[in-house]
Amino acid sequence: MTQTDDEPIDILEDDAPPPPAPAHGFLPIETNWFDRLFISLVIWVAICLVWLRFIEPLGADLYIAHGVSVALGLYIIWKG
Amino acid sequence: MHSNRLGWWLLAPTLLVLFLFGAVPFFYVVWLSFHQWNPFAVNPEIIYTGADNFRRLVFDSGFLASLGVTVAFVVFAVLTELIVGYLLATAFMKDFPGKAIFRTIHTLPLIMAPIIVGSIWKLMTTPSIGIIPHLLDEWIGYDLNIGQSALAAFTVTVIMDVWHWTPLVTLTLIAALVSLPADPFEQAQIDGAGKRQIFWHITLPMIAPAVVATVFIRLMDALRTVDEVLMLTGGGPGSATRYLGVHIFKEVFPKTNYGYGSAISVIVLYLTIVVCWLLYVGMLAPRTKK
Amino acid sequence: MKKGNPWLRTLFWIFISFLTLFPIYWLFVISVKPAVDLFSTPDIILKSAYWQNYVDVWTDRTLRGYMLNSLIISSGNALLCTGLGFFACYALTRFDLGGKESIFFWTITNRMAPPAVFLLPLFLLMTQVYRVGDFTLLDTRIGMILVYCTFNLPFAIWTLRPTLDGIPRELDEAAYVDGASSWKVISEVVFPLCRPGLAVTLILTWVFAWNEYLLAATLTNFNARTLTTGLSEYVTTTGTEWGIMAAISVFTLIPALIVFTMVQRHIVTGLTFGAVKG
Repeated sequence: MTQTDDEPIDILEDDAPPPPAPAHGFLPIETNWFDRLFISLVIWVAICLVWLRFIEPLGADLYIAHGVSVALGLYIIWKG
Repeated sequence: MHSNRLGWWLLAPTLLVLFLFGAVPFFYVVWLSFHQWNPFAVNPEIIYTGADNFRRLVFDSGFLASLGVTVAFVVFAVLTELIVGYLLATAFMKDFPGKAIFRTIHTLPLIMAPIIVGSIWKLMTTPSIGIIPHLLDEWIGYDLNIGQSALAAFTVTVIMDVWHWTPLVTLTLIAALVSLPADPFEQAQIDGAGKRQIFWHITLPMIAPAVVATVFIRLMDALRTVDEVLMLTGGGPGSATRYLGVHIFKEVFPKTNYGYGSAISVIVLYLTIVVCWLLYVGMLAPRTKK
Repeated sequence: MKKGNPWLRTLFWIFISFLTLFPIYWLFVISVKPAVDLFSTPDIILKSAYWQNYVDVWTDRTLRGYMLNSLIISSGNALLCTGLGFFACYALTRFDLGGKESIFFWTITNRMAPPAVFLLPLFLLMTQVYRVGDFTLLDTRIGMILVYCTFNLPFAIWTLRPTLDGIPRELDEAAYVDGASSWKVISEVVFPLCRPGLAVTLILTWVFAWNEYLLAATLTNFNARTLTTGLSEYVTTTGTEWGIMAAISVFTLIPALIVFTMVQRHIVTGLTFGAVKG
């Protein structure tokens, strides 16, 4: 389906001993899905904390922060 | 091969112990951080309060001050250790009489309990009985009082950490320097490179992985420094040396505010994980580039 | 820097060693001074030794109890961690277990966590959840032995795995072909070959447990208190018994020093958690 799903097959067909797959996302390092999930969670917490400190007192609800984080997280997992 | 069931049985006790004393506390503290719970308050029930604990935490001046001094402590301590450790490591690369003995002596602080290091430095720096305030007073008329001067207390904790952990940096960097090949250095000398150029363009890139690994380990340890500071200054004066671990120890238990205490613990854990992860990535990135 | 004369370098290192050793020497100086002499002008050279502090510590029943606790807890913990770590590493290296690399990684992450973070959940779990009837793990030796596993067991697994990896599997297979049981293979083939690695692991885990303070300070009240917590009891805001405190410190330091001479070359590998080979 996605580009990510095709990667391992390419590696399996290659005869050379595990070649580091070229970083294919926008993140500066090579990642697998678990790393990207982890990054998303870390960013989620960071966004929420910053939100609580600076934006919520202005009146914006925390749910907006969750929305932004989930969207960003999905984007990272998808494309990172 | 023989059955995997035996393998799982051999692994089971380990997993059980680490599950009960590692994973369960982790999830428990995360769960509690979203609740209000003070068993000795008017309402001793555990009540779900959403993000209220964190809402309070991000405005908690005590916590933020603690975070600030922790960052200052970690930066000063680890930087000093790196510089001193590197200089000592290069000094060890040459031959001189008694090298093995000096190396042994230099390793000595590493095996000492943090709390003992704390008590040693307390004995060294407490105004009435310590040798350091006495000498400073006699020589330059400076009155060192770690019970009153915030700067003095902070500096002494950094010096204590440097005394305790510089040997680790020295020894790891020696290991890195010993394994360097000689060719690039000879070539550079033939080409007429200066000492400084050799350091920045040849030595540093080649020992970079070891340096990053050392920083990683030292940062993790420095972030969780508690025992020695608790012994030496108890976090004071004021909150000058109230590093995050000390803050948790002093804040959570006397106040029995378990929900809020959990939130502090979770954030400290979060910050530790982020710092470790960033460094881990920093360690991996140069390797994956090739 | 110091070109030419190697003796100049030796001089430089004598100076560095002085900086390293002097604080330890000062600890000793304080420990052999009577309380009345402490506040006079500090003497760097010892003129007379006063051993009463050591006698006081040694004859104090509470402190003797703490010493015994420290000894039991660190020995029990070291044996438990080395044993469990040995079996776990045998399983990790000899069997084809699903997801074993993830399991291995997870065990190691337990070591990275700051203990301060786990004080509260461990305290609550040990008082409220992990209990059988009236028996709770709080303030018991067995409780402390188990709690120390959180940092020592990952360490044991980390250091023992290369040792077990280094033992050829053909030896196991040969013994199995000869009809030995699994237990026989582990105890009579693998174990003897692992002995040096096991000894280093045992000693280092012992020291880590012996040196631990924070968890012991929170999770014990009286019955299972260790020597390190006893030390902090002598530091109070109203007045510290400096001589006694120094003497307890020396008592705490001695086992570590003995160990130091035994495993000196392994300390760096141990403390850097194998990330850098010293």
